[in-house]
Amino acid sequence: MTATPIGSGVESAVRAQEGEDGPRPQPTWEKVLRRTGRAIIVAFWVMVVAFMLIRLSPGDPVSAALGADAAPDTVAAARKALGLDVDPLTQFWNYLTGLFRGDLGASLISGVPVTEMLRTNMPVTLWLIFTSVTMTLVISLPLAMFIAMARIPGLPYLFRTLTAIGLALPSFLVALILLYQFGLIWQVAPIFGYDPTFPANLQYLWLPSLVNCVVLVPVLSRVLYSSILDTLEEEFVETGVVRGVRWNRFYWLYVLRPSLAPTVVLLSYMMGVMVGSTVILEIIFALPGIGRELVTAVTMRDYPVVQGIILVFGILVVFLSLIGDIVASLLDPRVRLT
Amino acid sequence: MSVNAMASESSDVLVEIRDLVIGIQRTRKDRLLIVESANFDIRRAEILGLVGESGSGKTMVCRSLIGTLKRRSASIFAGTIKFDGMDLAKLEERQWRSVRGSRIGYVPQSALTGANPVMTVGKQLGEAIRRNRKRKEKDVRRRVMELLELVHIRRPEVVYDQYPHQLSGGMRQRVMIAAAITQDPDIVVADEPTTGLDVTVQAEIMKLLKEIRSELKMSVILVSHDLALIDEVCDRLVVMHAGTCVEVGSVSAVARTPLHPYTIALNRSRIDISTPGAPLITIKGNPPAVGEWPAGCRFSDRCDFVQQDCTVGRNPVLVEVRPNHWSACLHAERLGGTSE
Repeated sequence: MTATPIGSGVESAVRAQEGEDGPRPQPTWEKVLRRTGRAIIVAFWVMVVAFMLIRLSPGDPVSAALGADAAPDTVAAARKALGLDVDPLTQFWNYLTGLFRGDLGASLISGVPVTEMLRTNMPVTLWLIFTSVTMTLVISLPLAMFIAMARIPGLPYLFRTLTAIGLALPSFLVALILLYQFGLIWQVAPIFGYDPTFPANLQYLWLPSLVNCVVLVPVLSRVLYSSILDTLEEEFVETGVVRGVRWNRFYWLYVLRPSLAPTVVLLSYMMGVMVGSTVILEIIFALPGIGRELVTAVTMRDYPVVQGIILVFGILVVFLSLIGDIVASLLDPRVRLT
Repeated sequence: MSVNAMASESSDVLVEIRDLVIGIQRTRKDRLLIVESANFDIRRAEILGLVGESGSGKTMVCRSLIGTLKRRSASIFAGTIKFDGMDLAKLEERQWRSVRGSRIGYVPQSALTGANPVMTVGKQLGEAIRRNRKRKEKDVRRRVMELLELVHIRRPEVVYDQYPHQLSGGMRQRVMIAAAITQDPDIVVADEPTTGLDVTVQAEIMKLLKEIRSELKMSVILVSHDLALIDEVCDRLVVMHAGTCVEVGSVSAVARTPLHPYTIALNRSRIDISTPGAPLITIKGNPPAVGEWPAGCRFSDRCDFVQQDCTVGRNPVLVEVRPNHWSACLHAERLGGTSE
């Protein structure tokens, strides 16, 4: 074959027909920056809502700490000491300025700085989320792909049934059953406790992560399964077959990658939900995570702790979904960052 | 003269399709036939048009040529596809690998979904080049540029790094054509390559296919239901109806003296834009659904010239009525001359 264009006469005609080159690829970083800016604004509003909610709900920390029959001047003194004697707007201002100094305040009950609590307890929760997501991915990706491509009669039906059961099980029940089975009967997992150093902590995290998988795997693998089925219907898969692409490249570039975007977005959303739902697992498995601290703080009306944790959770959720969107658009250029 | 005499006519036959039966095995005993009798040749460096209504089995015949029937859970039950000493109807998946791409290229139906959305144009074309021989990255890039120029892509260096969704429909289809001819195949299978493109772009794509035929000496199978398009670019024509080839011949012969009532009806149902207000003529009835074919000739229900012997017995086979002009109509001799 030669390098010269065949029948060069049509060249000019073609030029006249198509004129444009189509939209030029826009710099991605610009979109990422815009999207990040919006995420920051959302995180701020999350904080405002957290501040308001805890103050609008009934009960206050002073009566919780001193009891209902405390003398009025003792209560007033306590309020002054905690900075609750000024109006809510000033309280918010004080809180906000503290925030920029890296000061989230201290617990009204124990006096421990909130940043200190976050530093010790947050990693546990993050590790739990991380291991859960990793396990979920390791199980879901091959599972969904196998079921979509194996063409074994009856298998998709079995898959739908089992995933429906998994979805319907409440996670606290699954946690108790697994804890009983693995921890007591087989004794292959510790029943409670935690070790904050890296390889050792996995020993304590794998069972709670497995519990998360029971809920996460069905959701994720189902979404991925149906996206893969959609992708397989597309003509470019056929083109790939005819092109003779090697199987490993074929599965990744022609099947999995074009199907991943919805799954990635869903996963980032579910990670956000998990930030809240790990509380149950932290309690059942006695893990010193931040979720447990939050529950305690809410019952004690420990304003700074609740505010601090909710703020961090909010930022986490917002940025997880940001990362999800960015990853999705990197995997599949058809996904637009908006 | 019978069907089997077809091949002896010309020595430049590239592919010989004989009595091809394609269908879906639903249960062990229940077979759904989609193509019941496909009989035609593909000659060297010709553009062969494959026309017929949707459901006539055009696409299935194409898929049998690129070995992707299985993906649609269909398979070849009988017949042969002779190509260069091989029988494509009996190839194993492993053997297909040496045929697809390098011997037979494929241009997908829709420019919109035919290109992989997660790979840049350059990567996709490069992948097709790289597959057999080990090549240096620089050589691959140069070859991709050559190909893009060959299919008249302007500014190939820009398009190289673009994703398919950033290109216009026409450009996308050009890229797909470039991908199909990457490995210098003998045949390019183009399954309705202009679906969803506007008329001017359609004409450009057709022009490009013609150039590929004449400059690169490749055979092109062009599937379409647009007769005007076929007339313009094809050398020979295969008309399919309800899973059967009903007429095979040169475009001029089929246009001048169609020898099958279905072809006549197709010709008549063209939209005539030169006489405003002219009534739209349609073929009466619907194409028979797959698996619900009538006894005798499949077109007998809809035929204007139907005779008593048309509705009994088996589906009539192709017979060479005139030299190099085959028809599956029992009364083809009497039709000769009934042209529009």
